[in-house]
Amino acid sequence: MEEKQTTPEAVPQWQLDLDKVGFVRRLFLARKWYGGDWWFVAVSAVLLLFIILLGVAPQWFAPYDPREEVGPALLAPGEVPLGYVLVVPAGSSVTSIKEIGTNQNNIGFVVGSPASQALRKTTDELNAAEKEAGSGITYQPRPRRYETNELGLTDLTEGKIDGFVASMEELEPLLPNFPGVKVVGDLSGNTRTFALGTNQIGQDVLSRVIWGTRIALIVGLSSAIAAFLLGVPLGLISGFVGGPFDRILTMLMDSLYSFPGLILAIAIAAVLGAGIGNVIVAIAVLYIPTYFRIVRGQTLSVKNDLYVEAARSLGTPPWQILTKYILPNVIPSVVIIFSVNVADAILTEAGLSFLGLGLPPDTPDWGIDLARGQDYIRRAWWLITYPGLMVSLVTLSFSMLGESLAEILNPRLAEL
Amino acid sequence: MNDTTPPLVQIRDLSVTYKTRLGDTSAVDKVSFDIRRGEILGLVGESGCGKSTLGKALLRMIMPPGRISAGQILFNGEDILTFDDKRLRDYRGRQASMIFQDPMTSLNPVQTVEQHLTEAIQVHDAGAESQSMARRIQALIERLGIMQSRLASYPHQLSGGMRQRVMIGLGLVLNAGLIIADEATTSLDVIVEAKLVDQLREIRDEYGVTILAITHNIALVAEMADRVAVMYAGNLVELGEVNRIFDRPLHPYTQGLLASVPTTEINERKELYKMPGEPPNLARPPSGCRFHPRCPVAMPICSRYRPGLNEAAPGHWVHCWLYQDHPEKEEKTLKVAA
Repeated sequence: MEEKQTTPEAVPQWQLDLDKVGFVRRLFLARKWYGGDWWFVAVSAVLLLFIILLGVAPQWFAPYDPREEVGPALLAPGEVPLGYVLVVPAGSSVTSIKEIGTNQNNIGFVVGSPASQALRKTTDELNAAEKEAGSGITYQPRPRRYETNELGLTDLTEGKIDGFVASMEELEPLLPNFPGVKVVGDLSGNTRTFALGTNQIGQDVLSRVIWGTRIALIVGLSSAIAAFLLGVPLGLISGFVGGPFDRILTMLMDSLYSFPGLILAIAIAAVLGAGIGNVIVAIAVLYIPTYFRIVRGQTLSVKNDLYVEAARSLGTPPWQILTKYILPNVIPSVVIIFSVNVADAILTEAGLSFLGLGLPPDTPDWGIDLARGQDYIRRAWWLITYPGLMVSLVTLSFSMLGESLAEILNPRLAEL
Repeated sequence: MNDTTPPLVQIRDLSVTYKTRLGDTSAVDKVSFDIRRGEILGLVGESGCGKSTLGKALLRMIMPPGRISAGQILFNGEDILTFDDKRLRDYRGRQASMIFQDPMTSLNPVQTVEQHLTEAIQVHDAGAESQSMARRIQALIERLGIMQSRLASYPHQLSGGMRQRVMIGLGLVLNAGLIIADEATTSLDVIVEAKLVDQLREIRDEYGVTILAITHNIALVAEMADRVAVMYAGNLVELGEVNRIFDRPLHPYTQGLLASVPTTEINERKELYKMPGEPPNLARPPSGCRFHPRCPVAMPICSRYRPGLNEAAPGHWVHCWLYQDHPEKEEKTLKVAA
């Protein structure tokens, strides 16, 4: 018989030591409290860390400047933009734009087409390369604008211009009619694809979504925190003190609460003016009554609990009863509201920005993108899908955080 | 009991009224008695007779709409009704403390046992060293039979008896002279209850504290108390040594109360006594003696004049016309042997 006895209750010494650490211990044991659902905490933690990282350092992730027009408008995710090619007379020996790039040469394109952008981009790139090499050569072909591709190709056949730029898709049906021309090669530039597409003015959706995280976190978090910091103490004091003070404050908060949310925010933002600080204030005012009502109600019930009376019978002063007995018993119900409010604040901010009361229009912001993207919903689904996805992701991660926190902070759920 | 030392608490004509829509309700009406140093005084009576109100009044814990409308409570000769807030906080906990009815809800759910105890000390002694504090708590919980490992537990992890011991610990940790146990054992089972009662007695012997045990459990009072006070409808009706009260109750209400206690000897022949009538509505109490509508031996004078608390025999006070003279009284006054 083996003499060594292992009891199931045997707790290793390091765990006992950990028991003395308090909050750290609770965080550590969170996995245990959830039983099989420890992955819930893990997922929310990873999600939140990722979102916070995006918000803190968007430049690490965003491929382009979110305000710059980096590509053709309304390019679908992953779509290859139309390839532009250089067309020259059939008999010419020209093989690239370099040979006909001087200011003596004429190069044609259809007026107003993206071909002009492609041409400009290519010459820009060539010039940059020459400048780096220090050769002193500048490429600056004279532009010739045509109404249609046919007109341009006709001129090219007649030798009036040295080259013509158009997309391959447009040229294919025309080329059989113009035997006197030949395609010599692709223009560089404008061939890159965008992972999440581009918006109506050619900005990269991915970069905007990534940069938008920062604004969303700033507005969502600070307005929710501001509302929390004002609403919770007011509710506590109001519920604890009671009397006329409580009556007046409750009436005030109820009148705030009775306004439809967005309309109140619009009114406040309209008075304060545009700008991120004012948006935060407007949204915070909107949420104060939510905290106030919940905390006041809870305080009213908790302050009549026997342990509060017991504390009073021990001579505990009122402010200590408030902070040590009532607040810790009230806070779990507020944490959930907080996480919901963060998400709600992002949407409210979007609404304000849509109406022009929020942030400047070129700000990379999910709300603005969502509002603008609505106009293009049938042509470009990606404009609202990705910012919308991010809003729900942030909402999800914050409510997961809220729920985890509520459980971690609640000693009744501890399974020690 | 040494009679030469002044009593710890002297209650004089104490009245507590609650404002209700039906008018003022006098939950405690002109009650006067003493609590002697180091005794266990049992305070018994029906539900709603004002026992708990009296206990709370001793700590000045009556919350609006109730208030202490008249009288004096002298603790060590000082009237606690004149204390200011600071003085009152010092009095609560350090000199008198309370153990509440329901141990399940009278501890803060978010604090551990140790936090409860240290906080109780810190409230009164902000500069207490953690070393000496830990020693005090250590000694106390050992005395109360709480395991060391239980210090880190939250209230929901403890049994009812354990919680009640923690509550007692809270009362003792500041060396309060008076502990008011308000139905402290009511929600516990009989075995735990018996243990706790034993423990209270031991603590009394060891620390010399005075205990006011408020209960409606007559058997419990017989077991633990030195003296018994009986209340009915806000009045103190009888007060005396525990043996005297149980052997020879004088007040008709006390007699009825004792006859209503079930015993294991009940058989078909001997039925449990049922007191006629209902407790009065305290917003409109009966005239004269408040017990007279239910009293089996009521006399004409009972409905007209309120009797005083009269010492019918040495150390045995009773609030009844049977044992008092009055010019208008027609019946003969009973004499009680000492």
